[in-house]
Amino acid sequence: MAAHQITFTINGGQETALVTSHTTLLSLIREQLGLTGTKNGCATGECGACTVLLNGEPVNACMVLAVEVDGAEIVTVEGLAQDGQLDVLQQMFVEHTGTQCGFCTPGVLIMARALLDRNPNPSDDEIKDALRGNLCRCTGYVRIIEAVKAAAKAGG
Amino acid sequence: MSTPPTSQQAPSPIGENVRRVDALEKTTGEALFADDLQFGPNLLYGRIVRCPHPHARILNVDASRALALPGVKAVVTGQDTPGTIGLYLQDRHIFCRDRARYVGDPVAGVIATSEAIAEQACRLVEVEYEVLDPVLDPLQGAQPDAPLLHPDLEDYEVANFIFPKPGTNISNHFRVRKGDVEAAWAQCDAVVEREFRVPHVQHVPIEPHIAIAQADRHGQITLWTSSQSPFAQRSLIADALGISQSSIRVISPYVGGGFGSKAGVSMEALAVIMAQKVPGHPVKLRLTREEEFFTTFVRQGLIAKTRIGATKDGKLQAMKTEYYWDAGAYTEYGVNVTRATGYSSTGPYEIPHVHADSYCVYTNHPVGGPMRGFGMPEIHWGIEQIMDLLAEELGMDKVEFRLKNCVRGGSIIVTGSEMHPVGLPECIQKAADAVNWGTDEPASAPHKRRGKGLAIMWKAPAMPPNAGSSASVRFNEDATVTVSVGGQEIGQGAFTVAAQMAAAALGVPVDWVRVHGPLDTRYSPYEWQTVASRLTWSMGNAVVAAANNARRQILELAAEHWDEAIENLDIQDGMVISYKSEQSLPLQNMVVYGLPKPDDQGWRGGPVIGHGSFMPTYVTGLDPETGQGPRSVVHYTTGCQAVDLEVDTLTGQITILRVAAAYDVGKAINPDQVRAQIEGGVVQGASTAFFEGLAFKDGVPQNTSFVDYRIATSVDIPYEIISIIVEVPQDDGPWGARGVGEHSMVPTAPAIANAVAAAVGVRILDMPITAEKVYLALEEGE
Amino acid sequence: MPMPAALDRENPSVLVMPGPGLPAFDYVRASKPDEVCDLLLQHGDNARLLMGGTDILVLMRDGVLAPKILIDVKHLPGMTTISFDPAGGLRLGAAVSMNTMTAHPAVKQHYPLLAEAAQAVASYQLRTRATMGGNLCNASPAADTAPAALVLNARCVTWGPDGERIIPVGAFFRGPKQNVLMPGEFLAFIDVPIPPPGWVGRYIKLGRNAGGDLAIVGVAVLGYPDANAASGCRFRIALASVAPTPIRVPEAEAILANMPITGETLERAAPAAQAAARPIDDLRGSARYRKAMTRNLTRRALDDVWAGLRKEG
Repeated sequence: MAAHQITFTINGGQETALVTSHTTLLSLIREQLGLTGTKNGCATGECGACTVLLNGEPVNACMVLAVEVDGAEIVTVEGLAQDGQLDVLQQMFVEHTGTQCGFCTPGVLIMARALLDRNPNPSDDEIKDALRGNLCRCTGYVRIIEAVKAAAKAGG
Repeated sequence: MSTPPTSQQAPSPIGENVRRVDALEKTTGEALFADDLQFGPNLLYGRIVRCPHPHARILNVDASRALALPGVKAVVTGQDTPGTIGLYLQDRHIFCRDRARYVGDPVAGVIATSEAIAEQACRLVEVEYEVLDPVLDPLQGAQPDAPLLHPDLEDYEVANFIFPKPGTNISNHFRVRKGDVEAAWAQCDAVVEREFRVPHVQHVPIEPHIAIAQADRHGQITLWTSSQSPFAQRSLIADALGISQSSIRVISPYVGGGFGSKAGVSMEALAVIMAQKVPGHPVKLRLTREEEFFTTFVRQGLIAKTRIGATKDGKLQAMKTEYYWDAGAYTEYGVNVTRATGYSSTGPYEIPHVHADSYCVYTNHPVGGPMRGFGMPEIHWGIEQIMDLLAEELGMDKVEFRLKNCVRGGSIIVTGSEMHPVGLPECIQKAADAVNWGTDEPASAPHKRRGKGLAIMWKAPAMPPNAGSSASVRFNEDATVTVSVGGQEIGQGAFTVAAQMAAAALGVPVDWVRVHGPLDTRYSPYEWQTVASRLTWSMGNAVVAAANNARRQILELAAEHWDEAIENLDIQDGMVISYKSEQSLPLQNMVVYGLPKPDDQGWRGGPVIGHGSFMPTYVTGLDPETGQGPRSVVHYTTGCQAVDLEVDTLTGQITILRVAAAYDVGKAINPDQVRAQIEGGVVQGASTAFFEGLAFKDGVPQNTSFVDYRIATSVDIPYEIISIIVEVPQDDGPWGARGVGEHSMVPTAPAIANAVAAAVGVRILDMPITAEKVYLALEEGE
Repeated sequence: MPMPAALDRENPSVLVMPGPGLPAFDYVRASKPDEVCDLLLQHGDNARLLMGGTDILVLMRDGVLAPKILIDVKHLPGMTTISFDPAGGLRLGAAVSMNTMTAHPAVKQHYPLLAEAAQAVASYQLRTRATMGGNLCNASPAADTAPAALVLNARCVTWGPDGERIIPVGAFFRGPKQNVLMPGEFLAFIDVPIPPPGWVGRYIKLGRNAGGDLAIVGVAVLGYPDANAASGCRFRIALASVAPTPIRVPEAEAILANMPITGETLERAAPAAQAAARPIDDLRGSARYRKAMTRNLTRRALDDVWAGLRKEG
């Protein structure tokens, strides 16, 4: 099977990688680049734990082929903080107990980042709807939603 | 109450909403989970060959084609695992030997240079089976003529409180015989009898199970895994392999959700056996989501047949109940679910006459094991509905009925034991008030009907009577404190609560305290398991003991230094102070380097390290014939949930408007975290109530993916969850605390069922309460 | 959807389940339509198109499909482009993502029903990749965008060895998971004509969860004033997940065209939709429940649309 050389930007830095056709973006991020903040929870695009930003839009990294991101810009949870300053969402998740076991948290944060980027003042229903592809078994979503609201209020 | 001396002046972190100590690393992506650990190019991967039949004899395993595949390093089978393994009953081989007992039972393991090659090779392993008649229903399985799943049951090692019936499929039978039930029916003015069913559900941690094992050439084994139970895993695997506990080291970083599925041993032992075949190589075994759904633990299915009666003044007189647990292929852990649901079989009610049988039945279904609530959500599904039905029969208000019959301090409970002080009546009243109980409120649309229902619960930690905890407290030079525990942070906030307790007991600011993973059985102090909502109470007591021990060392040093009586000294806000001489001394440096004696005559003290242990010593055995005994459990946590919902009569869909959940936690060490546990439990409970259940066709699970097995998402949650904390202290809890992790999921489903019945008159006796069931029942009622 | 544990035909002694990763294949990025046709002709079932990948990658992991080549068509001219012409209507490249479609001003303004249907699919992050073209090509009976496409009289524009072909969406589905594409042919565009003036549309989806599940039943209704109809209005009704393919229900539509629109007429039309439904039992719901929901949700969608028409009128 053919290998493809791809070049892309991840969390602001340019990277080059050699990938097979069937390498997923998730596998590229976790296994080849060693960025383990993005989680593997189902491999079928259902749980949202591997959500990353691809050219500014959230995707399930398990449902994207690595070869497709040639030339693209990717942001993972590791790229949310800028210059040592936490993203306001990260701050609010700490402050409002938006995390318990923490496994869904990176995907939820990316999803919430994408939401606030396109809708800085989401309603409760809009927040819930935006997060319906991010499964969480610990929090009952209550404090996740509170944290996103708090982040929006803080200027998101 | 083992309350350490706390000062009047300095603010105590106990009862404060201290931020989670793990929150920062969990929001930056830096928190490490087992699959995030890096092992380098030496790493090999394992995949498992699984049996496609619910019940079969294994005649031959031919791995030659698999071994011929380039990249395959080795194949293991049951022949590599002579020993048996199990927590309470050693009824399983790590890999099947002569027989496979459920669809998915591990028959062989392939080790290869990549996951893909291992997977490909698995499909080349040829297994010759003789297909046997399966048991797919616990009622059938309990019959004397049922196919026998474990002919060797009488030879299995078993804990002394578990009672298998060799020659049958019943691996535990817990009996309660209290009073005279048959005579009591005559006293009853109202009697209700029903059968309730609960399907198998899965824990669905978002992190699937994963284990990486490495064996060195001298027999030392290291296991990195997502685990609620590093010490229990070490012990069980060592027993199965016939080696010393000290020859196994279990390292467990953060756990991405457990809910019981990562307690005991399930797939972790497979990785160990595979690693033994390729010494020097770490072998990684991670389950796919599909495997997660049915090859680790599932919550057991239940058929409950219950009859209860009361006099016309509403006083409960008698209960007769039979619990048939669909416990699956191996019941090594599940036997204790049936025991716990036996000794708690009445729910939180005072009933003078009780006849209860809880049967753990082997079936050819996935392995039943511990799940949040440990049998209590399943039995309360029936108990709390039948109590509503009985109250209706009596024409009594359901709150009044429960207040009249629920357990209080001093009640004689089902085991004949005396109940400790408990705030259940207060929980009932507060939850009911929070949803305006007794007030009819309008539905939001003409085709919707609104209803309110409630359910109460109790749950005790279910564990061996002597499950222990330990902790250590070490000071660093700058007076920050490293607290070591063996209890795991699985999201419930255990590390945060440990930090609060250590800080309060030591007299230092909470942000000086560090509690970190990973747990490592080589260095972490012993903890039985992170289960049963026992850490705040049991591990908490150990932490307090360790902190008191360290504190004592510091005070002794200061007393000597100042030549004062230790009784006059205290530690406040990180300073040693004397109430008498009003001297003070910062902890910095002295906690490591000690203090100089006068006149340059040397030093005293030294590095401060405190240690502490806790183990309950008072839990007694129960009579095997009657289930009676002086102290069946360490304590019960009780609570009540009231649900206000509406039903769309044109679709059967249910919308929860609000849930009020009140729990007597003894003392909320961190109220915010208690509320977080309540919210999570309510939603997990509602998820099982509405959506969940493994579907089987001839023993083959049909819905092993998130597409087919739905759980609650952010759009499915109640509009409002009102968390209410009640605090009636526990006599041996730290600051009076007892656990609350599991409890909030226990009454959720029956409270919803009761509210649905109130709204539309439809009573669903078999979980889940799908929209379809509600709608079709409405249609039939027309 | 993904198969439950099943037997491997080649080695029935092992339980075959979705593997940890994707099986190996070759990725080809196509730049010209002819190249795609050639590859499809050359490789037959061993070649498949890759658009959003949200279905094909799952099916490949599940072992349902095992193509040796995935042809990425997102870089063909027009495949990810949306164009709108007030006279001719909307042209969607087959590989336009659902989120791109939903956010497009012309879709928001002129085709809110398409957006409503697309937003019923799975999750936002999945819809960043998932495409309406893929949703139609997969021909799932439960496809959420299909009923909307049906009531909007959308047309599938395909490209094949013999050039372009235009297929009304109503003729595009052949059976469960089967479409009418010929060897070498692929979907290039979806054309959606300008809906009739004064139209009102609604898509109601019933799933197990409040959102994100596959449909137990999906009902799309489009209504518009029409002086030529006896009732003064025409309604188009389409259903998902209650028949081997998404379907229109002309019997119900006829009732609504021929009788004055009253509560009673709406009450008669809904059972006609129910009668057209031929659902199966599956994990999401029984045939009986689906039948009943077809009636009740058709009625609900008709009520909503009729209320909208009266408001407009």
